Amino acid sequence: MADDLFIEMEASQFTKTGQAACGDDVRFETIERENRHLVALSDGLGSGVKAHVLATMTTSMAIRFLASNIPTLEAAEIIMDSLPVCEVRKIGYATFSLFDFRLGGRARITEMGNPGYIHLRGVEEVKPLVDETVVSEHWPDREVRECEADFQCGDRVIMCSDGVTQSGLGVRKDMKFGWRRSGVMKFAQTEIAQNPEVSAHDLAAAIAREALLITPGGCKDDITCCVVYLRHPRIMRILTGPPFYREHDAEYARQALLGPDHVVVCGGTSANILERELGVKVKLNLADMRSSGGLPPVGRMEGIGIATEGILTLGRVLGALEEKRPTEHEPAAVRAIIDRMMRHDRIEFVIGTKVNESHQDPNIPQDLELRRSVIRRMATALERNYRKQVKIDFY
Amino acid sequence: MERIKVEICCGTACYLLGAAKLMDIELSLPPDLRARVDIEARTCLEMCERENLGGAPYVRFNGTEVMCEASPEKVFARICELAGVEEAL
Repeated sequence: MADDLFIEMEASQFTKTGQAACGDDVRFETIERENRHLVALSDGLGSGVKAHVLATMTTSMAIRFLASNIPTLEAAEIIMDSLPVCEVRKIGYATFSLFDFRLGGRARITEMGNPGYIHLRGVEEVKPLVDETVVSEHWPDREVRECEADFQCGDRVIMCSDGVTQSGLGVRKDMKFGWRRSGVMKFAQTEIAQNPEVSAHDLAAAIAREALLITPGGCKDDITCCVVYLRHPRIMRILTGPPFYREHDAEYARQALLGPDHVVVCGGTSANILERELGVKVKLNLADMRSSGGLPPVGRMEGIGIATEGILTLGRVLGALEEKRPTEHEPAAVRAIIDRMMRHDRIEFVIGTKVNESHQDPNIPQDLELRRSVIRRMATALERNYRKQVKIDFY
Repeated sequence: MERIKVEICCGTACYLLGAAKLMDIELSLPPDLRARVDIEARTCLEMCERENLGGAPYVRFNGTEVMCEASPEKVFARICELAGVEEAL
């Protein structure tokens, strides 16, 4: 990926009330060597487990076909031929929206049966450069729409299942035909006008939540909203561990000058080095300490960022990231770090490699892992589970 | 009367070896004593790197005096001594 651009791809979903599984599915894939980013969104026929299987089969196949450059119509036919046929409706069916983007190139969007995608540059809608509809000979009632669009830095593409556009249908008098694509677009434009740099994650969540709220009394259909946002990456830095050589302390400390919203210092000694080199004090609150959920509390360094304990906290962060656990029930320090990670695109670890001998004390009641291996695993979890870029520097 | 400063180390080793239990020390002090003591949490006092010092957790009094293997009882007793009051309070 080019150094100065990042593509954020996020989705938000709600499952139809009473169903055990969501009947929509979204899949993301990045092909590094081709600088390509793919998204597949599918809405399976019906709801619940059966729809979930149809949708998941569709996204899995579609992403593979897309990655191997198989012509879309052919891919769509293979997908429709392979889906199991619904006993009730006598058709095998799942819709899809595919997004294929090459950095520095155009975006190709292919849709079958899903609401039309929305492409916004700021708050302005961008029309596709190419917009064609093709019909399969095999399945004459299915239309596949293929678009090509110029996708620039700052652009967003919104794709959703009909659970979003049809929300409110038949229930709300003011929305005879539901929220509709135009309603979704207007809502997104308002959100972007209020916060021009709103992340794909937050925008997708806001749209899905709004779709849920439009219909009173629970979720009437599976809701999925996916947003793709191309922008300059938001960089965050995590400093952890003292440098191996003391002479490197000053340079190490300078890495923390990235702005207070973007820096976390993990480790008491690391925080002390920053206090000494940058002349700032860590402020810890004793009251926080009593309610910090089994980990030392989060401190604040004025103008620099937040400071937490080191290896215990990082170990807990790693567990949550590997298992993709929501952060609500995590200790304050873990929540603070993960919430920050989620607000950034590129996470840079600045690791001091000096070993703290007191951690090897046999009296310590639990194993303390090595910083390096914890961070290596964390990098893998961030890349795989959260599509973040990760950089690691050792000091 | 001079105030008594108490710093509790919250480094990894100290935390695991009992510093977590020291956080409530402020609540266990009688009000008149509490008013004379400043209790602070510190990221790491870096005492664990020193040789010839007892084990963690560490607590520092008035910026110089270090207590090793601190427990709530030991810290409470030392605060009373420094304040010049009977521990029976």
